[in-house]
Amino acid sequence: MSLANLAHLHLLLNHFPTIGFGIALGLFFVSLAGKSDDLKRASLVIFLVIALLAIPLYMSGKAAEQAIAGRPGVSETLMETHQDAALLAFVFMEITGLIAWLALWQFRRFSHPARWNLSAVLVLSIVTFGLMARAANIGGEIRHPEITSEGTVDSDTEWLKSASIASFINTTAWAWPAIETLHFIGLSLLLGVAFVVNLRVLGVVKNVSFAAFHRMLPWGVLGFGVNLATGVLFFITVPEQYTQNIALHLKMVLILLAGVNVLYFTVFDEPWALGPGDDAPLKAKIIAASTLVLWIGVIYFGRMMPFIGGSF
Amino acid sequence: MMDFLSGLEQSGFATWVRESNSLFAYPSVLFLHTVGMGFVAGISALIDLRILGCAPEVPLSDMRRVLPYMWAGFWLNAATGIVLFTVDATTKAVSPVFYVKMAFIAMAVVVAWLIKSQVLRDGLLNKRPIDSNGKILAFVSILCWMGAITAGRLLAYIGPGVVSSGGK
Repeated sequence: MSLANLAHLHLLLNHFPTIGFGIALGLFFVSLAGKSDDLKRASLVIFLVIALLAIPLYMSGKAAEQAIAGRPGVSETLMETHQDAALLAFVFMEITGLIAWLALWQFRRFSHPARWNLSAVLVLSIVTFGLMARAANIGGEIRHPEITSEGTVDSDTEWLKSASIASFINTTAWAWPAIETLHFIGLSLLLGVAFVVNLRVLGVVKNVSFAAFHRMLPWGVLGFGVNLATGVLFFITVPEQYTQNIALHLKMVLILLAGVNVLYFTVFDEPWALGPGDDAPLKAKIIAASTLVLWIGVIYFGRMMPFIGGSF
Repeated sequence: MMDFLSGLEQSGFATWVRESNSLFAYPSVLFLHTVGMGFVAGISALIDLRILGCAPEVPLSDMRRVLPYMWAGFWLNAATGIVLFTVDATTKAVSPVFYVKMAFIAMAVVVAWLIKSQVLRDGLLNKRPIDSNGKILAFVSILCWMGAITAGRLLAYIGPGVVSSGGK
């Protein structure tokens, strides 16, 4: 995709996290006050979906920056401040998303989440909402001087700085190989869990209930979390080799689709109801098979990044 | 020996894999090697985690049923690994990291065989808890695959013939 299209994508997605988390938080308050498990689960799903959408939002920001850098009235410092504020908000948002997923899993596993979990989601989502609104506000100032208050100082005072992370990884010999190794270990864990759990749905280990295999899902999500963190570190270190890489864009599309499939297996009753010996309905089998294809596709486009698009 | 290795390296097939611009050459071999890694290390890790107590409702006798898929990943990687070796046989053969990787894989295979024969073949498998021997084997298996993955990645950075800076 061209820089202009990616900048468009950034502008399209950039209101979702703040507004989405606002809506989910409102719903979450109502569900806690009304003690409604269904509403709790609904708000957790929104937190999770918004956290997934924030991944392409964060990554398209670099392209949006490149698309307008050097234009009159565009401050490089302001863009850097926005980028660092966004990184901080993004980190909190992904942690919130992972814990929200864990709560959804616990709803299945124990029929209610652990007590610490919902409190953690509440605190983290409020903090994330504030951080995200702040990042969005700084981002808005880049092209909307009318919202800038009088006397705003143009300096990057963020404490989590992308440039410092990048320079640390660039100047530390072992850092990049170590991050790559973790990315490969996370990949193995994720693929292993996806394969074994979906094998049950497809009917290979049919005499065991789906609920029994469901307990393995957190290990797969752990693998995903490791790969999200290490993947973002790659991106921060050498963004120019990723922003316009078509293989990475396709990889991201497949990851989001696979994320929807993971929601199906966490939230829907259909796979959960599979007892020992039960044959899964055709829909569940199609989703299981597509999950495997999607993750193998993710590995394909990840591996092809240096070869397709040729930006390495 | 070096003559043989350089013969391998200069063979038509190895030259094609190394030098062709086709996505079906080197990139596809690397991709298959990565998928195979995910299958062998990932499925092995799940069996090990199950032995260590994760997902206790899944009977261990049923975990045996996923073993063939783990070995499918292993053989896919043995095949693609041989291709990747021939592509630069003379440098890989003198790289210490390569032998470290092979040693980890050999250990992992021995441990997988021990787990199959000592843990998964137990007639009372689902009736009694796993003994500490089984748990140690499972733990060592996880370490071996992590070691193999780490050494495999470091092949791009350490030793003779390193020309690029890996993924950067």
